[in-house]
Amino acid sequence: METAEPVIHLQDVSLWRRTQEELSYDLKKTVFSFLEGTYNKPRKRLVLDRITLSICRGEKIGIIGANGSGKSTLLKIICGILQPTQGTVHVKGTIAPLIELGAGFDDDLSVADNVLLYGTLMGFPKAVMKQKMQQILEFAELTDYAYVPVKGLSSGMAARLGFAIATDVNPDILIIDEVLSVGDEHFHRKSQQRMNELWQEHSTVIVVSHNLKFIADACEKVLVIEHGKSVFFGTPEEASQLYLSQVGVEYAAENSLYSQWDHRSLKI
Amino acid sequence: MTFTKLSLDRSQVRRYWELVQILVERNLKVRYRGSLLGIYWSLLSPLLMTGLYTAIFGATFASYYDNSITNYLLAAFTGLITINFFSASTIQALKSLVDNGKLLNKIKLPFSIFPLSMVAANVFQFMVGSLPLLVLVTIFKTGLSLKIFAILIPFSSLVLVCSGVGFLVSSLYIFFRDLPYFYELVVFILWISSPVFYPSAIVPDQVKPFLALNPLSPIIEGFRQISLTKDPLNFLIMAQGLGSGLVVLAIGWMVFRRFRHQFIDLI
Repeated sequence: METAEPVIHLQDVSLWRRTQEELSYDLKKTVFSFLEGTYNKPRKRLVLDRITLSICRGEKIGIIGANGSGKSTLLKIICGILQPTQGTVHVKGTIAPLIELGAGFDDDLSVADNVLLYGTLMGFPKAVMKQKMQQILEFAELTDYAYVPVKGLSSGMAARLGFAIATDVNPDILIIDEVLSVGDEHFHRKSQQRMNELWQEHSTVIVVSHNLKFIADACEKVLVIEHGKSVFFGTPEEASQLYLSQVGVEYAAENSLYSQWDHRSLKI
Repeated sequence: MTFTKLSLDRSQVRRYWELVQILVERNLKVRYRGSLLGIYWSLLSPLLMTGLYTAIFGATFASYYDNSITNYLLAAFTGLITINFFSASTIQALKSLVDNGKLLNKIKLPFSIFPLSMVAANVFQFMVGSLPLLVLVTIFKTGLSLKIFAILIPFSSLVLVCSGVGFLVSSLYIFFRDLPYFYELVVFILWISSPVFYPSAIVPDQVKPFLALNPLSPIIEGFRQISLTKDPLNFLIMAQGLGSGLVVLAIGWMVFRRFRHQFIDLI
């Protein structure tokens, strides 16, 4: 495994975002508030604060932190969905985001059409997606449903389809946002196996999860984020301890709790 | 984003084109569920309206159209397909960014493909629906000539106007979610102020300068000049149409670019 070359480099990345909750979203109200002199400029909040991070080829990186600390935002910065207010982002290679599986599906289109749509949006030529179609449908076990609109699938089936597409694309960098297990017990095993295969391959993986046990087992390095600041980047053990002391829970107690729960129930 | 840099490499252009293509396909598939005849459904509204206007105003306004009700009918038809194209494509473009907010929050995509693909889907629809009818009308009125190809000039002007307005309203809708209500009013004003179902000669002289501001007027006149008269091509009208198309596109694109970096926080 080559590790010397950084494939992702963030230098002093800060991000200010408009907070959606105070936006009036309304032309009528905005005009009236202007006339009445009560118009306020929309406030902005610092979501990421001077984050510097280097990730090398093939590294498996975990990101942990409390809800709202900026984990998913950081992933969006790496994917290029958000542009940093300050600082620079350099990414080498293709990125496949595995965030909220199936959120991009069009309910009215057939399963096959959705595979083409999703794949093309992720950056694959249509011809390539047509070749992969059979393979993806087989893995998702939806071959018989190829011409059924997605709204006719159960939510588990839709998630299976999302997983099958997103993991069939062999990206250089795989981004996983708290979605590791999908479907019933049978498919759950199958998806675990595919995740393991991805893990063995050279791809660089960045994963956000609240499942500390999983992070400790699967990741080589862990980044801890608190209020948009990077507070630690190093071994999983130290990271877990730091994170738990932050949220004020004993490491051992918490650990046993996590192993009892299925982490499916721990979505953000 | 694509239009900002002039030095684009080929693969980027190809990707952009593929994205627009797949979105157009999606729009048409969802709308017509695989039946090609469904596209002709879109002709129902302009044809019905043409019939209605002709029945009500035809006899009264015929004197402005060489005393021919047929001429009035054809004039109303050309006006209606223009205004129909405009309202359908821009109203669909308006919601395109917000409706795809989930997707834009997941995958890095150029924002501009969403309003553009809505306009492009309507271009396709026009090509198979209204355009053949317009060509038939032109042949019926003026005989076979190269002038038929000139139809593409006012049509491309129309596409430019709709893309510009599409950029403008799709970006404004992100900030103002009650925009559809106001935009319907705007479309209605544009409709009434275009000489669709009345001859422009009946408009009082004091009001005419205001109607000249309507970017659709020179386009409708352009269609009529080509399809309904035997006169040689009027370059002034064609240039006015293209000019208004370019101006509207420039304004729309400038607003879109100016606010683009704020979109993602709000959708």
